[in-house]
Amino acid sequence: MTSRRWAERAFRLALLAYPRAFRVRFGREMRQDFRRVLGERRTIVAGPTSVTSGQSASAPHSQTAGTSDTRFTRSAAGRDAWRTVASVLVSGLAERRSALVRILFFPTDQLHVYALAGRPSMFRDTFIADVRHTLRLARKSPLLTALTVLALALGIGATSAIFTVVHSVLMKPLPYHESDRLVAVWSDATKQGRPRNTISPANYRDFQQMNHTLDGLEAYFSFVTPFELVADGPSEVAIGVTVTPRLFDLLGRAPLLGQGFQHDQYAFEVLLSHGYWQRRFGGDPAVVGRTLQVQNNQATVIGVMPQDFTFPYGSMLGPSGFTRSTTIDIWVPMAFEGAIAAATRMLTPQGQLVRGTHWLGAIGRMKRGVTVDEVQADLSTVSRQLEQTYPDTNGGWGATIVPVLEQTVGTVRGPLLILLVGVAFVLLMATVNVSSLVLARSVSRQKELATRMALGAGRRRVVQQALTEGLLLAVAGGLAGLLLGRWGVGALVALAPPDLPRVQEIAPDTRLLLVTALVALVTGILVGLLPALAAARVSPQAALQENSRGAVGGVFRHRVRTGLVIAEVALAVTLTIGAGLLLRSFVSLLAVDPGFRPEHLLTWQMNLPDRLRTQEDRIAFYREFLERMRSLPGVVSVGGTTRLPLGSTGLTTSVDIAGRPRPVAEWPEVQFRRSIGDFFPTMGIPVIRGRTFNDGDGPTALPVCIVNQTLAARLFPGEDPVGQRVRIGQSQPWMTIVGLVADIKHASLDETPAAELYVSHLQGQVVSPYIVLRTTADAANMVDLVRAEAQALDRDLPVYRIQTMEAVRADSMAQRRFVLVLVGLFGVLALSLAAIGVYGVMSLLVSERTQEVGVRLALGAHPAQVLTMLIGQALKLAVLGVVAGLGLSFVLMPLLSNQLFAVQPYDPVTLVGVPAALVIVAMLAALVPARRAMRVNPVEALRYE
Amino acid sequence: MAALAVYTRRAHTPRAHMDRFRPEHFLPLTPVAFEILLSLAEGEQHGYRIMQEVGSRTSGRITLHAGTLYRALARLLETQLIEELSERPDPESDDGRRRYYRLTAHGLAVARAEAARLESQVTAARERHLLKVRG
Repeated sequence: MTSRRWAERAFRLALLAYPRAFRVRFGREMRQDFRRVLGERRTIVAGPTSVTSGQSASAPHSQTAGTSDTRFTRSAAGRDAWRTVASVLVSGLAERRSALVRILFFPTDQLHVYALAGRPSMFRDTFIADVRHTLRLARKSPLLTALTVLALALGIGATSAIFTVVHSVLMKPLPYHESDRLVAVWSDATKQGRPRNTISPANYRDFQQMNHTLDGLEAYFSFVTPFELVADGPSEVAIGVTVTPRLFDLLGRAPLLGQGFQHDQYAFEVLLSHGYWQRRFGGDPAVVGRTLQVQNNQATVIGVMPQDFTFPYGSMLGPSGFTRSTTIDIWVPMAFEGAIAAATRMLTPQGQLVRGTHWLGAIGRMKRGVTVDEVQADLSTVSRQLEQTYPDTNGGWGATIVPVLEQTVGTVRGPLLILLVGVAFVLLMATVNVSSLVLARSVSRQKELATRMALGAGRRRVVQQALTEGLLLAVAGGLAGLLLGRWGVGALVALAPPDLPRVQEIAPDTRLLLVTALVALVTGILVGLLPALAAARVSPQAALQENSRGAVGGVFRHRVRTGLVIAEVALAVTLTIGAGLLLRSFVSLLAVDPGFRPEHLLTWQMNLPDRLRTQEDRIAFYREFLERMRSLPGVVSVGGTTRLPLGSTGLTTSVDIAGRPRPVAEWPEVQFRRSIGDFFPTMGIPVIRGRTFNDGDGPTALPVCIVNQTLAARLFPGEDPVGQRVRIGQSQPWMTIVGLVADIKHASLDETPAAELYVSHLQGQVVSPYIVLRTTADAANMVDLVRAEAQALDRDLPVYRIQTMEAVRADSMAQRRFVLVLVGLFGVLALSLAAIGVYGVMSLLVSERTQEVGVRLALGAHPAQVLTMLIGQALKLAVLGVVAGLGLSFVLMPLLSNQLFAVQPYDPVTLVGVPAALVIVAMLAALVPARRAMRVNPVEALRYE
Repeated sequence: MAALAVYTRRAHTPRAHMDRFRPEHFLPLTPVAFEILLSLAEGEQHGYRIMQEVGSRTSGRITLHAGTLYRALARLLETQLIEELSERPDPESDDGRRRYYRLTAHGLAVARAEAARLESQVTAARERHLLKVRG
């Protein structure tokens, strides 16, 4: 019988050829007929004489069918059935064509004849009726409708805005060809706690030549260089990165104008970024081919990279990446031999590639079909071979492979996902709120529904109406949400921390539209679903009988409504606990002592003029510079360093301790900085023992250094560090420690301080120092004065990144503030939504219980008792919600832990305070309707009884 | 099928609705339409019975497939030559309820006109000895 079922299925499919209205009108009949024909043909063919007798089709002799040639019977019947299917298909298409002709050429307002006998399931007409009905309702209570739509629009808009950010940052492929095949390759110094250490030039070359899994491995300096550049006029600074000539080919990106770096022989050339080309050269295409002076060398501009091209992202820079947020202006090629290689310290004095110092980043392209794990295994093998060949420098060094997207955005995944979850909560709450609103409205329409059902409207029809209402609200909310979402994406970008990777790639696109539509659709279904279910349960009899009771739905509806409020309170508790934890973290962070005094400090970076060739020239320049800055009115003291606390990344070196010989590979790593002028007093870093640098520590004097407490504790536990000697390389001189200074927070306020070693600028060269200037008044007012003085001193002295230390500190917390502000906003929204929800339900409860309250009051109850009773009811809901919310928090809060600082995920203060606040809010929200109930006039309330 | 298309076009000319009812406007009927009207001339019937009736009356020479039948029914309903009765149980079927159709006054008039037209043709054919004279 399966062939029969197949035929039926085919017939049903063929029916789809007809226009919908036709199908609705005749489809069932046609299927019935077909089924009977199928059953009958068999008997007709099998029966002896009854070919022409339709009447005898169901006659008893069909029982004998089995005795004749059933195979023939079946195949004949089958042929016939399929012929019918084919004819139905053809005539269906013909009908569709004539319907089309009718619609196009003979349009009429009247419904077509076969639609006239319409039945309730004819979706289109009832849909229009439902839409009209909903619009009528909306017109009746415009304020309520507007608020509803606004709530949904906020929820939908915020969700799609956050999603756009999350998608642009975390999911969209990087602007490189087949970027999922790209991996970042690092040296693994796990033993020293740095699995993603930069690579030394010689190791990079070996990785490049000895691997079997990469289609190419290219390198870049893992820090940005402020290149001194002269185009026309005074010298200026262009932020640049040095890359291997084939790097952009590996990334699969070609210049917009001009061409890429030469491969076969080295030439000192410059590629411009699109932004710099627009900003500095006004987008003039003629700039390609021009010669600029870069670091006192002649360099030809060979091309301009496209606008969407970014390399490297901040998080691709190594631990010594220099600054927090940087837009790259230019790229210059890396040299592995010759004068430029020597000048960039790629070569040892013996002319070999440096193996012991690590500062390169590397990007590899995996061969097709190769996985990250396979590359990892491959390069680990190479590392082991190198360890054996060069035990001095490579002992304990491995390789770490990271997918390039992970490298770029891995650090912000947590915070962004927190935001996504937060906004989803808000959307959910808005949905719940609107849902209970629609439910409440449908309660007031219950009698109408019951009447309609009693008159024959099917349940399905009633459910459709509720769903349509939800969908319509969501569509309106979605449209408004689209605008809000577009605006929200802009606001988010403006609010985003500057060091958020890919922030410039965030833009509203068609995906925003799709996501908004999808979110709105799901929201609409959610909003309409519960009211629809409740509507479906309306019993016409009960509802119509309860006539005088101001009937409100049955137990189910009651449960749904209270359930919604409990859910809402639970969501609000969870969200607010999250916000509370973040807020407490932020406050703790604000209270963190950075180890220096950031108030009244101005800081900037500058490049020393290239004409200062010798160390003597530079020392003389610094002396004059510091002197002139110090004599400015309002200046207390001035100093400088190579690494600005909270404003730049670190640079490490390994140190050898006198009297404790060990292999180079085992030398401890410490942070290395230089100090210029009165750095420590200017920053306000206390000196604990010994002294700071002074003019006596000149180039020819005894080499000296200063260490911080952490270094002292790690390298000289239980000893006095002052007087000990260390060196930073086998060919370097021993330095005597002359001072011990307090720890400062360098990388960020939430880190534990690292071991730091300071050396005076008088005993070594400083490139692009950060200057710090302590003032008596507001440091921000000094900016113009400082610029003018620097220009007066030397017109080739570019001063850049000038800002107050307070701003630097604030920037270092920008990402936390971003997350905090948004989650805080979500928390406030959640609280108010919860309050509105409780208020709504209590109002309804009170209006339901007006008569009961009237009876109670008439029987002598005190108004205060009534109040207590109603508040008690609200309290019950709130407490249930709080308990559920706490449960949810216990599950979710650990996800927040890496965003927390000095606060545990199960922080008792937050876990008690937030729920308490929510219960209070719920009480207050319930108080308004409860007080109204208290004032019920028993006479009036009972009049309707 | 082509005849049906002609029929369709005429039925939908806006003027056809405005004119006073004239049966000859509908002539000639398509064979299928005429067979349906013939079936319904016996009394109200549902779709499947029409199909059976036509099949048995023409000894299987005309087979109405479901598609043909219901398209024709739709056209006849449209032009108000037949009308639909309320659904009621079909005594012979376990399928449940069925729709019944019957001729309207207009339908009867058109069927008569078509029969008369055919008769005149048959008479002409007989005069030319195309048919055996009935005994």
